[in-house]
Amino acid sequence: MTQEGFLNIAGLSAGYGATRVLEGLNLAIGKGEFVALLGSSGCGKTTLLRAIAGFVKPSGGSISVDGADVTRQPPDKRGMALVFQSYALWPHMTVAQNIGYGLKLRGRPKAEIAKRVGELEDLLGLSGLGGRKPGALSGGQRQRVALGRALAIDPQILLLDEPLSNLDARIRLKVRHDISALQKRLGITAVHVTHDREEAMVMADRIVILDRGRIAQQGTPQELYNRPATPFVAAFMGAENRIDLTGRIAGDRVIIAAGLANAAADLALDGRPLTDGDLEGRFRAEAASLLTGEGDGTATRDALELPGRVEAASYPGGAWRHSVRVGEDTLLVDSPEPFALGAAVRIRIPAEALFLFVRQGHPAGPEGSLSDGTEGRVLEASES
Amino acid sequence: MPRRLLGLLLVLPALTVILFLFVLPLALSVVGAFETEAGYGLDNFTKSFALYSSDILFTVVIVGLSTCLIGLFSIAIGGYLTLGENPRAVAILRWLYRWPLFIPFIVVGQVLRTFLAKNGLMNNILVGAGLITPLQAVSFLDWRGIVIAFVWKQTPFVTLLLAGAMASVDRGTIEAARNLGASRLRILIEILVPQVATTLMVGLVLSFVTMMSVLSVPLMINAQSPTMLTADIAFRINAYGDYGVANALGLISLAATACVAWFYLRQSMKERG
Repeated sequence: MTQEGFLNIAGLSAGYGATRVLEGLNLAIGKGEFVALLGSSGCGKTTLLRAIAGFVKPSGGSISVDGADVTRQPPDKRGMALVFQSYALWPHMTVAQNIGYGLKLRGRPKAEIAKRVGELEDLLGLSGLGGRKPGALSGGQRQRVALGRALAIDPQILLLDEPLSNLDARIRLKVRHDISALQKRLGITAVHVTHDREEAMVMADRIVILDRGRIAQQGTPQELYNRPATPFVAAFMGAENRIDLTGRIAGDRVIIAAGLANAAADLALDGRPLTDGDLEGRFRAEAASLLTGEGDGTATRDALELPGRVEAASYPGGAWRHSVRVGEDTLLVDSPEPFALGAAVRIRIPAEALFLFVRQGHPAGPEGSLSDGTEGRVLEASES
Repeated sequence: MPRRLLGLLLVLPALTVILFLFVLPLALSVVGAFETEAGYGLDNFTKSFALYSSDILFTVVIVGLSTCLIGLFSIAIGGYLTLGENPRAVAILRWLYRWPLFIPFIVVGQVLRTFLAKNGLMNNILVGAGLITPLQAVSFLDWRGIVIAFVWKQTPFVTLLLAGAMASVDRGTIEAARNLGASRLRILIEILVPQVATTLMVGLVLSFVTMMSVLSVPLMINAQSPTMLTADIAFRINAYGDYGVANALGLISLAATACVAWFYLRQSMKERG
């Protein structure tokens, strides 16, 4: 993703006071692209969005739009419109006044403003609500007014700061599709900040995962979901089961040695950048399966098996989710049929669903020193 | 019903204080305003209007003008405290603007008397700076002095309320306007002030009532005619022992403040409905 984009961010650093939030961040966003900035709270995603919008002065680096440097430009000279998390509608103005304010500031004639506001009300399904104040609207309607206010000025870039987090779950699912459909229809470039993985995957063309002010990985939703580059990204994308393994590279295979908690396995290397020694494996609950009985002791091919004991089972919908004790860890595994508590089982993880990384000095995360933070992020990522 | 009795007993001290120190004196003055030597009538009012109609007008105009100026200054100060981009200037202003709050009206009168007199500090500075000649120096110790005193003393109070309300306005609403290209002045007038209008009204109504009841400032700065009603009331009582006319004048000031309060109530009812 190093090609020259429509919105270019080069070496951007920003922070509040002595706290550095962003550190030398590079990002290029193409015209008409929908990019989601995904990360847990405190990772710098909102700061990045506010720096793009012009509300945070960067301490270094540059931001350019269509080749023109806007780093020192005020927020309104950047051709961008921001939709706020709180919507930030003006409570003393009607819906029509809220939507038309940007045009009023530009000195457009009243008739033209009324026409444009009418168009947007139709587009966003707000017809007939033009005379109401925001206080008399539902959450979803307010959200659409905020969107209409941003779109009224025909921005080149639409910035969305967690615009769905204040909606209740059912409306959120619908609005996700509404916004991305609208963005495609208008061909507008959009940058969307969220901490909700599923939301980012459904809406965005490209996801940028931020971790402590740096880009941990970026790519299409499929790439991030199926080929996470670091344990942090894997955990963020839902692979929260973690196991410690020892392995050896043999040509294009990786041979996993039998350990206290796992049977031996022979897996395809599949381009993973691994070395001999300690490995960290991660997998999703729904990607593994549960088998009964003991293994035969020989190495499994293209799958990893972990012997364990069922500790608990629950039914969140679709499949039974089992909590399985493996060695000292407890792993979550889905199965279509429930297993009895205490039953001896084998967790079988197909090679393509097992994410392997070279284990760093410390058990958690790519930068061992902040293991607490990483664990916290993992938990938060699972909230969605 | 011993519990109900206990509740009543607990409220009783407060109720007694209100009854004897507020309601009763108010009722007595209202009655007193209509008491004349020949029984009840409107004589006191006729006399009040005959003698003091210019003072009534003077009072309403002075206090009204001061209220407007206080509103303007407090919006300007509160707006700068909220929207100002120079953190040092904001901090200095925040520290400075509250000082007059802690100075009593009588001291304000005293200070401004020495400051605004014909050969007071202000004119000395202007002459010293070569801006005016000594012959051009005029005393500000008239209606202008009263207005200056009121504005100087009451602006911090309204600003205190207003700046608090402005600080609790969702910053997003300000940023959204900036994002669309609104200047700071437009944000202040079109975004910020409408959202704190109720607080501004409360502050101004309270200021209006306070200024209507100040005696020391008109006495210190402008004791000649025309003067404010408070000075006239004091004069009627102290010089003539004429409680009838004093009560009538008091009732007239009450009517003026009631007008403002009614205006405020109507406005807030409209906003709620």
